[in-house]
Amino acid sequence: MSGGLLVDVIFWLFAAGALVTGYRVFRTDSMVRAAFYLLASFAAVGGILVLLGAEFVGMVLILMMAGEMLIMAIVMVMYMMNPAGLNPMWMVHQHRVAVAAGVLAFAVLAAPVLLVDFPDRPNPAPEEATAQLGEELLGDSMLVFQTAGVGLLSTMIGVVVLASRRGRYGEADEGSSEPSLELQDAESR
Amino acid sequence: MDYASPPIALIAVGLAMAAGVYLIAVLDRSIAVLVGAGRWTWRGAIVGPIRSAALLLVQRRRTTERPDSPGWTLAPALLTGLAAVALAMVPIGPDMAAADPSTGFVVFSAAIVFVMIAVFLHGWSPNSALAMHGAYRFGAQALSFQIPFLLAMLATALPAESLSIVDIVDAQEPLWNVVRQPLGLPLYLVVGVAVSFWGPLNLPDASDLAGGTSVEDSGVARLLWKSARAAMLVAVAAMGAAGFLGGWWGPWLPGPVWMVIKAVALLTLLLVAGHLLPRVRIQRFVVIAWVILIPLALVNIFVSGALLL
Repeated sequence: MSGGLLVDVIFWLFAAGALVTGYRVFRTDSMVRAAFYLLASFAAVGGILVLLGAEFVGMVLILMMAGEMLIMAIVMVMYMMNPAGLNPMWMVHQHRVAVAAGVLAFAVLAAPVLLVDFPDRPNPAPEEATAQLGEELLGDSMLVFQTAGVGLLSTMIGVVVLASRRGRYGEADEGSSEPSLELQDAESR
Repeated sequence: MDYASPPIALIAVGLAMAAGVYLIAVLDRSIAVLVGAGRWTWRGAIVGPIRSAALLLVQRRRTTERPDSPGWTLAPALLTGLAAVALAMVPIGPDMAAADPSTGFVVFSAAIVFVMIAVFLHGWSPNSALAMHGAYRFGAQALSFQIPFLLAMLATALPAESLSIVDIVDAQEPLWNVVRQPLGLPLYLVVGVAVSFWGPLNLPDASDLAGGTSVEDSGVARLLWKSARAAMLVAVAAMGAAGFLGGWWGPWLPGPVWMVIKAVALLTLLLVAGHLLPRVRIQRFVVIAWVILIPLALVNIFVSGALLL
């Protein structure tokens, strides 16, 4: 997207926002906050993608991440035995190794930006960027992708059906009962 | 098509939101009186919402023990912003749109998906048990309505062969989507009520949780949350009018007038339903969404696609 100073300012706001919130993910003391910081970081990256002219990819990134981060927060809270995720806890383990790995990964990913000699041939913005992207990604294999998509969706629905109602300890919507402590009762179930 | 200049677009969206929220307050009180046994008065229906708002503006702010203050402050503002984004995507005439990006449908959907972040944050941050219950409820509710909502909306993009909302409305000139896809509008309205957690699907803020996510709200924050929720309902109704009822297409009257009439009609329908239908339990809604709404939405999109081939 071409544009003057305003676009530059917005770009730097998004870039700084993505970095700061990305850093805060590891410095906060709550799983829910960490998930929401990560979401903010991804949303800022999505904003940069929109600025780059990849409207569809940027907006879909923002759209997908919202659902994923909420699920992640809920699942983390469920597994961590931390009531509602409100108790403070450390978000990192093995601090030194984690810091070293983080710095190394950032250096490897950021090095190409400085080392590579990028060509200076600005292309005109495409009229139908979304349609071109779809053609490029799917092309002739549209039917394959659609079949796989419907297959995945039915798998999801199947998993939800399996996980939802009838569990080992009774039907979920009637309240579950704890397993008995007596061996005989447990066997006669 | 040219964009409206940003300041004008901002003011227009803000005015539309404010007018919509006030209209909802007036309609809701009037319908409550008509459905119930009370008597309609100017004082109650027209002035009443302003009095209530003024009362909340001067109310003393309460707080809880160790809340997540940034999140608690952010949540109502986030929901207001999402309602504004969603409403900005709705064109009211062929040349009258606050913004018409080529991916308008995706932007609208992203705003709808983010509602669950706003509601969850709103219920999680006060550090209060009933609010937390409301937040988890909405998590289950939102993850269930997401797929049928997106599928019902996506079917309207098929005849237009475009994700731009203006194109979607344009493609309805010969035949409105409500006729072309008879399943679409009912599906959209059911999940639309769930999106703006209104009436029978107001589960996160339900009275059986003493107000749910907003149980600890007071003063300006409560006013902002209430109006943001109403603004979301305005956006859902307006997009329903654009996506299924042919937007600005209609005889005699100019396009924007038709658009407003259709949006207000849908809004009235949703508000009446809110007063006549009992609240649905969250367990039942989740089952309905996965077992009935998603298959129906898939049938809708398959049939719409097959008719176009």
